[in-house]
Amino acid sequence: MNMLRHKTALVTGGRQGIGRAIVDRFVAEGARVMTCGRGPRPDDLVAEVLWETTDVADKSDVDALTDRVVAEFGELSILVNNAGVQIEKTIVETTDADWDLLMGVNAKGVFMLCRDCIPIMVKGGSIINIGSISASTADPGLALYNASKAFVQGLTRSIAVDHGPAIRCNAISPGWIMTGMADAAFAVANDPDSAKLDALARHPAGRFGEPTDIASLATWLASDEAGFATGQCYTLDGGMTSASPLNPGLF
Amino acid sequence: MSHILEGKTAFVTGGTGGIGSAICKRFAREGAQVIAADLAAPAELPERVEFIAYDVTDEDICRNTFNELAARWNKLDILVNAAGIEIEKTIEDTTLEEWNRIFAINVTGMFLTSKYALPLVRKSAAASIINFGSYDGYIADPGLAAYCATKGAVHALTRAMACDHGPEGIRVNAICPGYVDTPMLQNFFGESGDIESLKKAVRDVHPTRTYGTPEDIANLVNWLASDEARYASGQLWVLDGGLSAQVQQMSL
Repeated sequence: MNMLRHKTALVTGGRQGIGRAIVDRFVAEGARVMTCGRGPRPDDLVAEVLWETTDVADKSDVDALTDRVVAEFGELSILVNNAGVQIEKTIVETTDADWDLLMGVNAKGVFMLCRDCIPIMVKGGSIINIGSISASTADPGLALYNASKAFVQGLTRSIAVDHGPAIRCNAISPGWIMTGMADAAFAVANDPDSAKLDALARHPAGRFGEPTDIASLATWLASDEAGFATGQCYTLDGGMTSASPLNPGLF
Repeated sequence: MSHILEGKTAFVTGGTGGIGSAICKRFAREGAQVIAADLAAPAELPERVEFIAYDVTDEDICRNTFNELAARWNKLDILVNAAGIEIEKTIEDTTLEEWNRIFAINVTGMFLTSKYALPLVRKSAAASIINFGSYDGYIADPGLAAYCATKGAVHALTRAMACDHGPEGIRVNAICPGYVDTPMLQNFFGESGDIESLKKAVRDVHPTRTYGTPEDIANLVNWLASDEARYASGQLWVLDGGLSAQVQQMSL
């Protein structure tokens, strides 16, 4: 398995969950990988992966991160914008500070990373933005999160159109992936356990997704196999959004 | 060669066509046992690819083929519904006979093949069905009315099959190619005018500055067929070099 041999990758939000699964898979596929997060380097991160403590919403942090990419790798071939935050509120409940936090990471961070990284993708590159199915259909009580993911879809298409053919840019829209973020969303249900069972019954795949499922698609999109794929937002949700939300079998 | 499909069996309708033959070749290279099903045998077949004479519009042939296959194979892991035709006409110029013919191949053929393949597909521990939709199922190319309509039907059928058969462990997706360099595309370009400048104009409007090759499409079919895509179902995978990411480009 050497799909990403000779490639260099920057993955934001590599502490845990989807980001960590992507980091581990990219390493297994032969890429040199740098990742980042707001805290210190996690103890369980494999030694060969470079870590930079970074707040992607902070311009000087992002500039320092990309400077380090150039210093370590010389150039960049893969950027995965995975770092994201979720706030479980309607807009009426949302404060200005919530806006700054969420849009800072999910929207401004993606914009700044792309702005810095496109010029250092001197041999061409693949940008993969982690969007969400909630960019197209709203998850209740996640107003700003949903809107920030629609931003990601719009930016993805723009980058593909403006910076092709050298740069390919696609988004992955995960459905329910078993991470801390999904647990937080279920926690606000009246009965989290029955909410989980109901959600499960709505998945033709018969299960929720795992971070490694997303890493599989990220790897394909990062590789030369995906040479004709650009400007798309690919949904990976175990079939959930292909079925109507009104499921009489569950009544 | 990663042999990502080692131990899997695959049945590809339209298996000798532009995209179908690239798929069969890739599947065989990845270690699958492959049947290319099509109307007429090709001059040559890739290694490990077997040809079967098959007509997606004939219910008896579909039923008998899978009855016979069930005697030889104990499961079918991958079904690719790639058989399809294109009719370059507006609805006004399309005869009822032509309309019925393109629906018989592009839609009814997918229904019949999937229907009779299902008992064998169900025996796979990790089954993947891949249908051929099109970017034309979303946005129209001029003068391809019936074709566009068939691809819209394929997209809806794909979601329905994913919804109904997902709980049985069967994943169903569609690939929606944009412009791919096949005999079908050459027909669409037609004979008239300056074909080279037309081709260049078409390439230049793509963010990738090229149209696709059958191998590009086979790359995604291969991924969807493999266990790497084990969470991918019910989706329409547009693969078009970024063409549909942009609004129409005016010549200013």
